[in-house]
Amino acid sequence: MLDLDMTPYAAFVWPAWGVSALVLTVLTVRAVVASRKWKRELARLEPEQTPSSEGADANCPQAARSALGQEK
Amino acid sequence: MFGLSNPQRFMAFTGPLTPVLWGLAAVLLGVGAWLSFTVPADYQQGDTVRIMFVHVPAATLGLGAYAALGVSSFFALVFRHALADAAARAAALPGAAFTALALFTGSLWGQPMWGTWWVWDARLTSVLVLFLFYLGYIALRASIDDEQKAGRAAAVLGLVGLINLPIVKFSVDWWNTLHQPASFLTPGSSGLDPVYLPPFLTMLAAYGMLFAALWLTAIRTEIRRRRVMTLRARLAQEA
Repeated sequence: MLDLDMTPYAAFVWPAWGVSALVLTVLTVRAVVASRKWKRELARLEPEQTPSSEGADANCPQAARSALGQEK
Repeated sequence: MFGLSNPQRFMAFTGPLTPVLWGLAAVLLGVGAWLSFTVPADYQQGDTVRIMFVHVPAATLGLGAYAALGVSSFFALVFRHALADAAARAAALPGAAFTALALFTGSLWGQPMWGTWWVWDARLTSVLVLFLFYLGYIALRASIDDEQKAGRAAAVLGLVGLINLPIVKFSVDWWNTLHQPASFLTPGSSGLDPVYLPPFLTMLAAYGMLFAALWLTAIRTEIRRRRVMTLRARLAQEA
């Protein structure tokens, strides 16, 4: 049975769970927003480039460095 | 396994895996929270035992994330592997957040049980040092404009910080500490009553899945960000 009466420790239990939930939510939202932002930006830029990174040979070490932006 | 060190293969492999991890984390967090508030209060700790279900997983993942950061830093530094550098960077923020949560929730448990928010014992102090290593790593990366130099400098700091992990783990055995020794999964210990194992293990698994999802998503984002930077530089040269 669910027990939500934390008396006399409610002032310690609820902040611990509340702040944990808040921090995990912020981490999740931040990760998803950043992921979408760079995915969108990459999709916008890639059609302008030939050949695209998707077409790069996965076995080629140069392609690997290029995909990470380390090409020199 | 080593094939995944290629970014294209990494992206192809983790693409379908990441949503599964997010889903598992959400389900396990929901079930774990439900179980945490259905078990009876502890006969000594009362309802503060429920803080353990968020405190211990946060502390475990704080340590685990730093191990991931340190090992990735090693590969980034020794083999100059860009994906390892991205992995180290991606582990820093979630790791710092988990460690901060461990310190905060531990403090909330300590006040009613120990009668103090904080004590400078070996376990608490070494976890605080771990948190400072995370902050140092993040600050160092942000303070150097050249990303490759920043990555190398931060990787050295990441490796140095690995020394702190066994100190955190064994501090309760090496020194007399107010913090209790490991009791959850230690064979023969008088630690945890079996009734608390389901919520504890579920929350531990949930935090583990959540970290894995956050880490993989952040690595994938970092790969895309660097690709965008390369494309922008190429476009600027062509213009």
